[in-house]
Amino acid sequence: MTFLGKESLSAMPITQEAVKTLSAQLYDWSLRRVPDDTKDALRRARATETHEGAQRVLEIMLGSALRAEQTDRFVCSDAGVPVFRVTLGANARWEGDLKAAIVEGFDELVGRIQPPLLKHVTNPLTNERGYKGKDMPLVTWEVESGVDWIEIACQPKALGSGRWAQAETFSFPSLADIEAYVMKAVMQAGSQHCPPVIIGVGIGGSFDVAAKIASKATYRAIGSVNPEPVLAAMEERLLHAVNATGFGPMGTGGDTTALAVHVDYSAGHGYTPVAICFNCWINRRTRARIHADGTVERME
Amino acid sequence: MSELFADYRRVTMPLSREDARSLRAGDMVLLDGEITITAGLPTHHRILKCVEDGIDPPIPLQGQSLLHLGSYSQDKPDGGLEVLYMNPTTSTRFNPLMPRLIRHFGLTAVGGKGGLDAGCREAMAEVGCVYFSFLGGGAPLHSAAITAVKEVAWNDLVAHYRLVRLAVNGLGPVTVGIDAHGNSLFETLSQQAQDRMPEILAQMGRERVG
Repeated sequence: MTFLGKESLSAMPITQEAVKTLSAQLYDWSLRRVPDDTKDALRRARATETHEGAQRVLEIMLGSALRAEQTDRFVCSDAGVPVFRVTLGANARWEGDLKAAIVEGFDELVGRIQPPLLKHVTNPLTNERGYKGKDMPLVTWEVESGVDWIEIACQPKALGSGRWAQAETFSFPSLADIEAYVMKAVMQAGSQHCPPVIIGVGIGGSFDVAAKIASKATYRAIGSVNPEPVLAAMEERLLHAVNATGFGPMGTGGDTTALAVHVDYSAGHGYTPVAICFNCWINRRTRARIHADGTVERME
Repeated sequence: MSELFADYRRVTMPLSREDARSLRAGDMVLLDGEITITAGLPTHHRILKCVEDGIDPPIPLQGQSLLHLGSYSQDKPDGGLEVLYMNPTTSTRFNPLMPRLIRHFGLTAVGGKGGLDAGCREAMAEVGCVYFSFLGGGAPLHSAAITAVKEVAWNDLVAHYRLVRLAVNGLGPVTVGIDAHGNSLFETLSQQAQDRMPEILAQMGRERVG
């Protein structure tokens, strides 16, 4: 954990400016570095791969990640669109318009970031692309009880892996039904989503909640154990199953199609939406907290 | 990175028909020479319009490569152009358009990431063309292999949609995903996964009750 500086030690409200600055930084940082847990998982995969071509592709991936860090360049040319999760502590105090802060932060970043970003923000009605668009950046707002910080996580999403997310609504499904559906989505993505991927699965709630928890599950660190035993077992089963397909790194064959499967659920009503989403191997993800005293704690 | 990849075979682009036919699905190679790239669907439509109108596209494609790579290029103070970064896009998006382009221009190499479908594979076998699978998330490596920007066409399009001709040295390593003899790793792996699926599901069932 890195503390980036103490702007104030007094319990001042968290400012619009602080949220603007940090959200822009988180997006910028996410483009230039593969998270440590992901690099570790790639190294472990390289050590256990039995397919020679896959070992080489994993080696090239680690080489690309290293070079991005050494040269401070983007890992992928597709910077995706800015996607944030903001968790507001129920006891946090802030001033200003936090929603506007994130829009302004991205606008300013577009003007100064080096190398410049390609135009990826797409109007889905016309397919025109630029840097601005309705509801952009895409932000999920959450509230957490008992804390006084604001946490911002960033996970840019692009077509490469974003294209393969899907959801279907079942009626009182069994675990077997749910897992078979996950495998159907894995088959549809096949070689195309820049594997090895991190898979998020959301079960239950309502239609929107299932998608939200699936996406949130992809933020979990690789190797972390699901506290729900039923889901921990499901994650292990699914990971083995996905890797038994043989699509492999970049979909050109191998034992490593997924680095992790993360599952979460919400109680619902018998109609059970199941949502599945994928992060490509570079697993862009950054996260930081602004504490009540103004310190910024970078977490990943 | 060049030391790291010293043991890979190198091929010269544009690929000769002979070199294209010498490659086999699963081979990994480095590319030297000149490549033509675009990541744009509108660009493919424009090329097809050129074909329909009987005119040449602004960058000649006969016997060349057409790779699904997107790039950010900008003007240099000396009047030239430089590519700041480059990376592949999902080729399957262009499945319906590629067979005609492969046949019309007699392309010797296509590529990107994620592969192409059976219709493309058939066209490739007919003309002697291979598919190179580039590393997605490989921008730091791919960009470092660019030695010159030769030509950029259709500047009215967003940067990654433009048709760009580049000189490269040691681009890759890339995997031959589809060879000129009708072999596609993508189709083989997809079929293999389908064949394995009943046992994969059965195994999950055993683990669930066990």
